[in-house]
Amino acid sequence: MSASLGVRRLRIVRESAVSRFELEIGALDLEAGQVLAVLGANGSGKSTLLRALAGLEPLEAGEVIRHASGPVTMVFQRPIALAGSVVHNVRIALRSQGLDAEEISRRSDEALARFGITDLAPRPATALSGGEVRRLALARAFAIKPAVLLLDEPFDDLDAGARESLSRDLRRAVAETGVAVAVVTHDLRRAVRVCDRIAVLLGGALRQTGDRDEVLNRPVDRNVAALVGMTNLLPAEIDAQGLARIDAEHAIPTLALGRPGPAWIGLRPEHLKVDIGRGEGLPIGPGRVTEHASDGILTTLEIAWAGHALRTHLVAGRGMAREIAMGDELSLALRPEDVYVFPMDTRGEKESSGHREAAPGSTGSGSMSNCR
Amino acid sequence: MDPLDNLSLLAITGRTLALCTTSLILALGLGIPLGIWLGGRRFPGRRVLLGVVNSGMGAPPVVVGLLVAQLFYRSGPLGDLELWYSTQAMVTAQVLIALPLVVALVVAAVASLDEDWALQVRTLGISPLWRNWLLLREIRLGLLAAVIAALGGILSEVGAVMQTGGNLEGETRVLTTAILMYTRMGLFESAYALAAVLLGLMLTLAGLLTWVQYGEKR
Repeated sequence: MSASLGVRRLRIVRESAVSRFELEIGALDLEAGQVLAVLGANGSGKSTLLRALAGLEPLEAGEVIRHASGPVTMVFQRPIALAGSVVHNVRIALRSQGLDAEEISRRSDEALARFGITDLAPRPATALSGGEVRRLALARAFAIKPAVLLLDEPFDDLDAGARESLSRDLRRAVAETGVAVAVVTHDLRRAVRVCDRIAVLLGGALRQTGDRDEVLNRPVDRNVAALVGMTNLLPAEIDAQGLARIDAEHAIPTLALGRPGPAWIGLRPEHLKVDIGRGEGLPIGPGRVTEHASDGILTTLEIAWAGHALRTHLVAGRGMAREIAMGDELSLALRPEDVYVFPMDTRGEKESSGHREAAPGSTGSGSMSNCR
Repeated sequence: MDPLDNLSLLAITGRTLALCTTSLILALGLGIPLGIWLGGRRFPGRRVLLGVVNSGMGAPPVVVGLLVAQLFYRSGPLGDLELWYSTQAMVTAQVLIALPLVVALVVAAVASLDEDWALQVRTLGISPLWRNWLLLREIRLGLLAAVIAALGGILSEVGAVMQTGGNLEGETRVLTTAILMYTRMGLFESAYALAAVLLGLMLTLAGLLTWVQYGEKR
């Protein structure tokens, strides 16, 4: 793998009459043939970073380095459809570059087919639906054979089926062309579906960058954890046996042997097991269902346990022998290897450790800045 | 003074068309780039400029005529050019009347595009020349509206062309000033003949442009 595009010591300041925003990135690389998902809450600087990578943002300091020779292109959050047919849209850039007719039609046909819109080629682009314009924008971008492709919220306002098929087409296109891709999104599940690596932006700074599973399972701090879906977060005291004591009656087994002291316990919802009798995981006692929301396929439960609201997901038809209703008591279990332990040794952590909430979604607070 | 003969009617109509075409081309040539620039950029003082353009749209042509006439008057700032009562002075007045209309309509057309339209086109690696062509194509309906508005302003204008051209026979007499003259003289038949030609021109041109515009929309 080799880096196609990188940034070093990047600093961007955006000032308006009412606000000031700073983005600082020490180092970030986009690798050929890989998808990097940039995750972050609204206002964390995701889109600004993407525009900087595209060379559209004035830099206060630092540099954006192009290692690959091909073009760097970007598909915006709301891609435009230029007046004219779909195929005209795909060909226009190629024509302006003075390619010969045969090459132009070969490349545009290939790009249209890649994103399944060959049938739409003669249609006026301005009459397309939102999802079709997105496919057109991706085809238009791939037609110019980019070395780097930057995607701003590519799955916005698409239905579930369209998101899935677009993810698949994108993944395939990346594998076949070796383009380096950065995807900015707030849709964690979609990001996980398409990416190889994850970069987490919080408050204008890069908090963690790494391989997808590493970031998902070993977030560097509580804010990253919440952002990458590790929504069950509890303050605890680790004892000498690695048992995380939540209160006098409740404890969670961990693998944090030899690291006694106060800590945060993180557990992804999918790792909290309910009502299983097959010896999968260690029991942590009963909890009561306080929230129950289902979309027909995925059911999200909130379970009161040790004064916290723990979240878990159940897939329809899998794992549960009975219907679950509000107020039901369920026996809970987990595997110690799924439990992630964060040290609680910074000033910021101590400040916020006072209240006993499982803290889902409490991201981006300025108090966490010394975590690393 | 004799009533209008066919030969003069033809000459006046021809002169009117020639002057209008010249003024229209100049107004579009200046107004479209200016409108694109004003519509697509954000810079200090932009609002002031837009304010000037908007008030220019409502400026009474007779005042524009007064200013241009004085500019070219023998003792005026451009008096040495000896253009008082000339077709050049008339064109100057017509361009000044039509320019704000063109600029304002182009600004509106550009502003109605997506905020990052230009950036999106740029990231596709399209060359600047092609980007401009794409932009014109994108705002073509606004351009047509600008042409119709400018043409209407230029063709039907009477006060300013009277002040700057003087309605000199065989030199600066156009349809509108001739109608004015024949009406004053009580030669209504001649005035009506000229009026019919003027209306016919206006309707034909506006109709043609509207037809193009609707053809685009469908």
